Amino acid sequence: MRILVPVKRVVDPYAKVRPLSDGSGLDTTGVKFEINPFDEIAVEEAVRLREKQADIEIIVISIGTADCEEQLRKALAMGADRAILIETSHQFDSQGIAKELKACIEVEKPDIVLMGKQSTDFDCNQTAQMLAAKLDWPQACFASAVAINGSFVTVSRETDLGVETVEVPIPCVITTDLRLNEPRFVALPGIIKARSKPLDRVTPTATPAPLTRTLKIESPGARPPGKKVSSVEELVGELKNRGALPA
Amino acid sequence: MSTEALTARGGDFFCRTPDRIFTAEDFRGDDALMVRTAEEFSRKEVLPIQERLDAQEEPLMRDLVRKAGELGFCGADTSEDYGGLGLPKNLAARMLEMLSLNASFSVTIGITSGISQVGLNLFGTPEQKAQYLPSLTSGEQIGAYALSEPNSGSDALSMTTRADEKGDKYILTGTKMWISNAKWADQFLVMAKVGGEKVSAFIVERDFPGVSVAREEHKMGLKGSSTARLVLENAEVPAANLLHEVGKGHQVAFNALNLGRFKLSSMSIGPAREALRVAADYAQDRRQFGVPISSFGLIEKKFADMAAWFYAAESMIYRCGADIDSAFSALGGTPDGNRLAAEEFAVECSACKVLSTELESLIVDEALQVYGGYGFTEEFPVARIYRDARISRIYEGTNEINRIFMADRHVRRAVEGKTSLSGRADSFISDLCNKAFTAFVETYGTDGFGKKVSQVHLGALSDLLALNYAEQSARLRASQTGGINESLAAHFTNWATGQAARAYQVAIGESVMLPEWARVDISDLARAVYDRRIPIVAH
Repeated sequence: MRILVPVKRVVDPYAKVRPLSDGSGLDTTGVKFEINPFDEIAVEEAVRLREKQADIEIIVISIGTADCEEQLRKALAMGADRAILIETSHQFDSQGIAKELKACIEVEKPDIVLMGKQSTDFDCNQTAQMLAAKLDWPQACFASAVAINGSFVTVSRETDLGVETVEVPIPCVITTDLRLNEPRFVALPGIIKARSKPLDRVTPTATPAPLTRTLKIESPGARPPGKKVSSVEELVGELKNRGALPA
Repeated sequence: MSTEALTARGGDFFCRTPDRIFTAEDFRGDDALMVRTAEEFSRKEVLPIQERLDAQEEPLMRDLVRKAGELGFCGADTSEDYGGLGLPKNLAARMLEMLSLNASFSVTIGITSGISQVGLNLFGTPEQKAQYLPSLTSGEQIGAYALSEPNSGSDALSMTTRADEKGDKYILTGTKMWISNAKWADQFLVMAKVGGEKVSAFIVERDFPGVSVAREEHKMGLKGSSTARLVLENAEVPAANLLHEVGKGHQVAFNALNLGRFKLSSMSIGPAREALRVAADYAQDRRQFGVPISSFGLIEKKFADMAAWFYAAESMIYRCGADIDSAFSALGGTPDGNRLAAEEFAVECSACKVLSTELESLIVDEALQVYGGYGFTEEFPVARIYRDARISRIYEGTNEINRIFMADRHVRRAVEGKTSLSGRADSFISDLCNKAFTAFVETYGTDGFGKKVSQVHLGALSDLLALNYAEQSARLRASQTGGINESLAAHFTNWATGQAARAYQVAIGESVMLPEWARVDISDLARAVYDRRIPIVAH
């Protein structure tokens, strides 16, 4: 069995970033980059599935500049077997990424695509769904539990009303939610071992103009200062003054 | 064994300007990933249980060491043949910095992964290494180092613990003081005098007959670490556990200390890094006069100062570590070669130890000041960091002993042709340093320099050496990385210039005309620290 895990290089979600002065993007000078945390959960889950079922091969894939090797090496250190880097400086939107992944999937023929439900930089939450549609594969999104049962995968997701468990046939696309697992520490011997794992570099099959274009990125405006009130009466008065309560 | 193979020599900072130095920014790719694993380990496993560690709740510390061992942190720079990873010492030190965000864990893992293994690594026979290293590198066992005694601290060779040969054993008797990790240690590297005269090193297992550990010392800080006496009463140690040779224990002890001092420098900036972070969070959170205190000029200045001190310490430490690694690759392999390699940068190791630990003190002190009255309570983490930091200037050779050693050793190395006392000064500070050494060598000669020159003057000369090394390292690093680092280095130079002028005055007695003050945007530096919650980094 083969699991493909797409991993995205994103700005450290805990770092503070500012828009560039011309609003064309973010100033990432001196900022650390990480594997998108949801994707890291997907890598961890793939490794855990293999710990239960030894015949699983895990391939990680990323699309972007040569810098993405850093994130791929980390995924290899966590336990993935090999990596593919679609090396490009072209800006893809979710549609474009889904197309590239589809092209790769047709070559690698994975049984399961396991990926983060969204990335922490653009929060689109649509690449996996688009990919499933293009492949005409079933999808099970926002997994809080994943189990392989022969030619099916059982996937649970947490909803406001409780836990919903579905079963999808292989091949399928699964996206991971935050509480699926907690990724392991990357052990030093694993990092050393990852140095000799294969990493293939390929070029994108196409570089279509994105359907979605970013026009401008700006910081939220400064919040006006609040006001402290000393009594409930004063609070009610203020709310009435501002029209939040009927006068 | 030829020292001609060395690309960088100890003392270079004094007499020339290297084209390039290794910097913290040069830990890239895999190295950076390892360093981040170390930081994550500290943040997820160690910092959340600091209070319980301080209460010495069992078996928390032992479990942490075991977990760290599973990840590879207990033998990073020990050979793969003995369960280590064979990584460079410099990288191991950088990881140790990140494992040192809590000082009690730092000292525990620092000793078991460092000084308790160095003696074996440098001087052990293959049999000794195979017997004792794998359990340390895996984290299953904990190691300790036993040199000091109740009446023998800085004057280490005055030890009274003796070892007497009896059949195929040595019988050891004496008390070893301030033994870090004593409570948990399974094996100790013990120095004792064979026949009461010849200093020798032994590997002593806790379970050997006659070995016991006394009660825990009641310490001011590092409460989560164990410190106790090791008591040897006719302790029976197999003759095969003699490390290196009879009468050469001082080589084991002091070379372990040279490298130990280098590593201690990393261990001292780890807590400083954390102090800066918690203080930066607090300053942005705490509001007075309707605004966060982080916006006040004098608070901004504290963060600019702390970041600059940190930057300089970091610059000298990882330059030194890379140089040590290159010395080991050129000379190491045999006990003699290892000794030469460990000695080559002894002056730099001491400079790192003295200055990093003193900068750590300045940083934790200012971090506490940021908290105001709250900093003086145990409700906030900075009080612990402050108490824990105090020992750094004392152990691994007091800063005073290191100051006596540095200036003397530098002159001796010059006499031996290993460095030069006449070199081109490349800054105001290095000019003062050169002038001071020239004047003292003219007056006292090089013979017995350390004995003829007063301790006060030796101390001042050593201050100049350390400041020279730190300033040059920070300046070169900043010119290699550019950006905001240039302001950081300039801010450090401003501070170090004043310190160096004072040291020069103490040494020579003449007045010093200070150079122009570099204009640095303090607010800019402070904002960078606030944004990143770490001492400002590269690019």
